Amino acid sequence: MAIDAALEKVWALGLCATAWRRECEAPPTSRVPPASAWTASPRPSLLPCAAAAAWPSSRERRQGYLDEQFNQLEELQDESSPNFVEEVVALFFKDSSRLLTNIEQAIDKYPQDFYRLDSLVQQLKGSGSSIGALRMKNECSVFKANCNDRNLEGSLQKMKREHATLKQKLESYFQLLRQVGPRDYAVSSRKSP
Amino acid sequence: MAPVEDGGGVEFPVGMKVLVVDDDPTCLAVLKRMLLECRYDATTCSQATRALTMLRENRRGFDVIISDVHMPDMDGFRLLELVGLEMDLPVIMMSADSRTDIVMKGIKHGACDYLIKPVRMEELKNIWQHVIRKKFNENKEHEHSGSLDDTDRTRPTNNDNEYASSANDGAEGSWKSQKKKRDKDDDDGELESGDPSSTSKKPRVVWSVELHQQFVNAVNHLGIDKAVPKKILELMNVPGLTRENVASHLQKFRLYLKRIAQHHAGIANPFCPPASSGKVGSLGGLDFQALAASGQIPPQALAALQDELLGRPTNSLVLPGRDQSSLRLAAVKGNKPHGEREIAFGQPIYKCQNNAYGAFPQSSPAVGGMPSFSAWPNNKLGMADSTGTLGGMSNSQNSNIVLHELQQQPDAMLSGTLHSLDVKPSGIVMPSQSLNTFSASEGLSPNQNTLMIPAQSSGFLAAMPPSMKHEPVLATSQPSSSLLGGIDLVNQASTSQPLISTHGGGNLSGLVNRNPNVVPSQGISTFHTPNNPYLVSPNSMGVGSKQPPGVLKTENSDALNHSYGYLGGSNPPMDSGLLSSQSKNTQFGLLGQDDITGSWSPLPNVDSYGNTVGLSHPGSSSSSFQSSNVALGKLPDQGRGKNHGFVGKGTCIPSRFAVDEIESPTNNLSHSIGSSGDIMSPDIFGFSEQMVITGNNF
Repeated sequence: MAIDAALEKVWALGLCATAWRRECEAPPTSRVPPASAWTASPRPSLLPCAAAAAWPSSRERRQGYLDEQFNQLEELQDESSPNFVEEVVALFFKDSSRLLTNIEQAIDKYPQDFYRLDSLVQQLKGSGSSIGALRMKNECSVFKANCNDRNLEGSLQKMKREHATLKQKLESYFQLLRQVGPRDYAVSSRKSP
Repeated sequence: MAPVEDGGGVEFPVGMKVLVVDDDPTCLAVLKRMLLECRYDATTCSQATRALTMLRENRRGFDVIISDVHMPDMDGFRLLELVGLEMDLPVIMMSADSRTDIVMKGIKHGACDYLIKPVRMEELKNIWQHVIRKKFNENKEHEHSGSLDDTDRTRPTNNDNEYASSANDGAEGSWKSQKKKRDKDDDDGELESGDPSSTSKKPRVVWSVELHQQFVNAVNHLGIDKAVPKKILELMNVPGLTRENVASHLQKFRLYLKRIAQHHAGIANPFCPPASSGKVGSLGGLDFQALAASGQIPPQALAALQDELLGRPTNSLVLPGRDQSSLRLAAVKGNKPHGEREIAFGQPIYKCQNNAYGAFPQSSPAVGGMPSFSAWPNNKLGMADSTGTLGGMSNSQNSNIVLHELQQQPDAMLSGTLHSLDVKPSGIVMPSQSLNTFSASEGLSPNQNTLMIPAQSSGFLAAMPPSMKHEPVLATSQPSSSLLGGIDLVNQASTSQPLISTHGGGNLSGLVNRNPNVVPSQGISTFHTPNNPYLVSPNSMGVGSKQPPGVLKTENSDALNHSYGYLGGSNPPMDSGLLSSQSKNTQFGLLGQDDITGSWSPLPNVDSYGNTVGLSHPGSSSSSFQSSNVALGKLPDQGRGKNHGFVGKGTCIPSRFAVDEIESPTNNLSHSIGSSGDIMSPDIFGFSEQMVITGNNF
């Protein structure tokens, strides 16, 4: 089914959006998931939702790119603000790119000014947490810890990588959503036999 | 509150106005959406400075603020302090930083709550509780510390009705109406008993002389810095006294202390020998005699007042605390509740001074028992008396005289530290010649040197303790309170015009309105607006804005305006927001600084005090108080308007009296104590007295 395929793609993106999570969280018996999605040995590219246990364990969810906050954002989306999530995400990437540039410049210009770096990263962390960017948030915490240890080796690269990955995945996700259509596609798939 | 009793009915918080301040656009967008989802009226702002401007322009425009901690243009804690001081609105901090020490810092600065990002919907749904809680606490404080009035009595009922209806409506308007009611209540003065939600009247706590003395002793024992309401309450061991009572009283006291300190530090004017003693006498005579005649002023009070006015030996000024208090009490007996209210406020401040000096001797007259009523009025009167010369002199000369008078007193007054607190109401301007009858408070004699003694009640006048050094009586919005008048006076005094302590109500017998403007009601009414009991309404405080016609039109009208701004109205823009009425601000400090060419520059002190005054609502944490103290710092020298903003910046008022070291209230106080001779110019005194009120939160 088109929707199932779409869902599968979404899963493949490794994101854990509301729809998927709902799917994932539902007990397998009540679901009619696409067979491929629920194999015992999930494809490595699949994320927590498609984990072997058929729904993501909390540990896996923690590894997810997005967390509960993202769900909340999606729930806030409605007719009055139909593209709310996408708009906020776009806002985040615009702001976070700027922040990353600032961080990079700060490392170059003031390599020993860990206090400045720390405060910049703090901003990034707050920003990321507002959209539910879990891995970004964790990466920021790691970066801050590294600042404390005064050892930023490789930290910035890791952060930039995380950022780029998340951006790419979310862009794909939104693209997919546009293809799939109305947001309650997951519900439809559930209903379908 | 009815809505609350409804179990927090859905309708109640609808439309609550929230201001979100955060430099992170993502977070702002998310929060705004969430707040809209909660059916609040959300406004976002990415710059703290802009947010402050918005708040200052429209105090009532928001119910609660949510602010980020880390912001580029201003530290979130700073914003928190300022909002608490100036507007006394609940502020919720938020940050991705969840470290305990940061959260602790937020609480200490007075944050109502601290949310960790990402902020969830559930948390936002509950923020209305902070608004209600704050208002309830304010009312409770008011009830305890203020005096019930007839109008007050009716208020709760009205409130209940209003709230009930609003709950029923469930419309946005309901929220607004509630707020309005609240505002109105606040505006009417802290003294109003206004717990809107409760129909039962809580017994008002009257801070009698003895009680205040106990309070002061407790504070002294603990140390002004360490004095927390709970401990004070324990030390006082007074049955029936609640922690809230003590807390609000403490706030006022601190404000007062601060003010006093600044006054003392700032008084530097050399005063000419009183030349107008005659005038003073006349004024005093008029007033007092009239008062005495009416049987309202005890003969001894009259004598004391006269002595002060005429600049008789300082001894007379310094009445033993007990005596003074008794005098005051006697004087005030006949006073209207208004007066009482005023006094109540005044007291704390008065007392504070004593404390500051560390000597809080039992005898400290002014401080001494700050009888609920007497304290303030005494101060005011005292000021007037002692500074009789100050009062009315239209010229700087007058002020000089007054100051001189004050100076003379200082020794006596400062003796034992407490006495010094008996600052004469600087604001009391003794009209040089046109002493209008006191009774005609409104009828200010056209010549303006009348000293208006805000005598709301004759008792007030009588109450003026001779030794009142400075009684910074901040007349809080007491409508009738002479306190207000005093403040007005102060303002006016700045320009060497006699300080007219207009009482808003013009009931002041013997209030001589120097300026035609000084319409007691006018000036005072403005005062009343502030919710803080101690706060003088913005108008009165002058800072600013427009000068009420004729109010406080001193010769240097400008100067006056600056200083208090409130009476004169014309003040320079109260930019500082702080000064604005109600606000606890610093307005006081403004007094006279700017232009006051006359000797009345003393206001600077006021500022500092003003700061305190403007301090946040009692509810706020003490930490805010402290921070505000710091802010009080120096007031800028500049002319009008500069003073405003002292809160945030701790600018000093330049006037000669400016206190250089007004760093913190306690510091100042100690300093000022040393300089006992610095009798603050009448303005200061008068002003400060009035200013002191507010006890807002620190």
